[in-house]
Amino acid sequence: MFWKSTYNEFIKIAAKPRSYIGLAAISALVSVILFAMKVDGKTYISFITSSFEQTLTFEGDILNGDLIAFIILQMLIIHVPLLVALVTGDLVSGEAAMGSLRMLATKPISRSSLLMSKFLAGGAYTLVILLWLGFMALGVGHILFGSGDLMVLNSDGLVILQNADLAWRFLGGFGVAYLALLTIATLSITLSCFSDNSIGPIVTTMAIILFFTIIGTLDVPVFDNIRPFLFTSHMIAWRSFFEEPFPIETIQQSVIILVVHIVVLIGVALFKFNKKDILS
Amino acid sequence: MINLQYFRLSLFALAFLLIAPTVHAQKTPNQMLYAVVQKMSKVKDYSAEANIRSDIPMIRILPVNAKVYFKQKDKFKVESTGIVLLPKQGFNDFYKIISDSTTYTAVLTGQEKILGVPVQVINIIPALDTSDLILAKLWIDAANNLVLKSQLTTRTNGTMLIEYTYGAQKTYGLPDKLVFTVDVKKFKIPKGVATDLNKPAAPKPSTGKTKNGQIFINLTNYKVNAGVSDAIFKK
Repeated sequence: MFWKSTYNEFIKIAAKPRSYIGLAAISALVSVILFAMKVDGKTYISFITSSFEQTLTFEGDILNGDLIAFIILQMLIIHVPLLVALVTGDLVSGEAAMGSLRMLATKPISRSSLLMSKFLAGGAYTLVILLWLGFMALGVGHILFGSGDLMVLNSDGLVILQNADLAWRFLGGFGVAYLALLTIATLSITLSCFSDNSIGPIVTTMAIILFFTIIGTLDVPVFDNIRPFLFTSHMIAWRSFFEEPFPIETIQQSVIILVVHIVVLIGVALFKFNKKDILS
Repeated sequence: MINLQYFRLSLFALAFLLIAPTVHAQKTPNQMLYAVVQKMSKVKDYSAEANIRSDIPMIRILPVNAKVYFKQKDKFKVESTGIVLLPKQGFNDFYKIISDSTTYTAVLTGQEKILGVPVQVINIIPALDTSDLILAKLWIDAANNLVLKSQLTTRTNGTMLIEYTYGAQKTYGLPDKLVFTVDVKKFKIPKGVATDLNKPAAPKPSTGKTKNGQIFINLTNYKVNAGVSDAIFKK
């Protein structure tokens, strides 16, 4: 019954037009970036390397599919959570608004299983969004630009990673990025349990992301103790996979923080949904 | 009579032995540079395997294998499957500079020893004040007509120190190992592009202090005058 319910939830997501907004937005944005890089990518690269090129010269193909994929992920991974929340924030509250939640609760399945099936369907949708982003960035990027070594620009310098060393880094990076997006999906579904309209949880999720991001980026000592525990501080932990030496402890810490957020949020959602007085 | 003749001969031999070691020192700087150019002119073209290792602050890159090609007069190409970091100048720049003696004035500034080898230190001052080169300093092993060290100061690229170690291709003046020392204090990271926002700000380096980076290049499997196609340089 649980898997059937999960399947039903996923079909419901697939049937909503808004579910395709994210895919369309990613396709459009990545296409624009790929076009811009194809036309004027060398100028962008020279902006990165100009200060080094007074003394040094970079031989080899810097502008390749791997660098393009990295640039795309860097640009979009901040905005993809909003596209995820647009769908997952509606999973419970949308049904409450339409009046179908009461009928759904009459099914021979516990409320906990029902909510977990929504979480699972939301997680699957998030995976689809990320896979599509990965395909557009890496797949199309490789087709248009080929593969090569990856030059990553961090605030403390340049890291040049060899092509043979990139597959596992992208895989790990996508894994951690998925965990970050799953945290957003979980947050929005949890907020969805507290609301009876669609817009509220979506806007609240976005507001929380903005609020935490601003706190996280404000370089003020008063927030130093809070910053490491904000999930937004770990949303770009995927980038650590492209650092050298490999910061395994930082990644582990980010994974733990994100998993703890997911578990706590699911716990809160289960508690609220089981206690919820479903009147419509 | 025989004894007097023997004495004169001995005196002449002694004088020759005393003078001989200073013969190189008595060469003019231009003669020494000409000898170096003559030696290197024997190389019409070459290709070699290169292992490039960088130790530069702010840049982390693993050692890379590449292939280098050279063809007279000034065609030079590095071919690699990945990204290779190279000094802006240095591979054969001093050769280009000294090959036309009408464009500079050479001044002998002293003698030093590099790893026990006596070398003549020659300063090269360009004839034109509009030249990109400000000053070149060459440490020349006059006995073997080899440049063991060079320091090039240019308007566009600053100062670069290069040390050369010779091996199997010593007769052609082609080094087995090059060590480039570059000044990297000018390196700056454009903030708008580096987006590791959650990373704590790194402590700022002390201003004005010169930081040096080094690039080590080992060259092996030289193929000298075996013919290099022009198509390689057009890729």
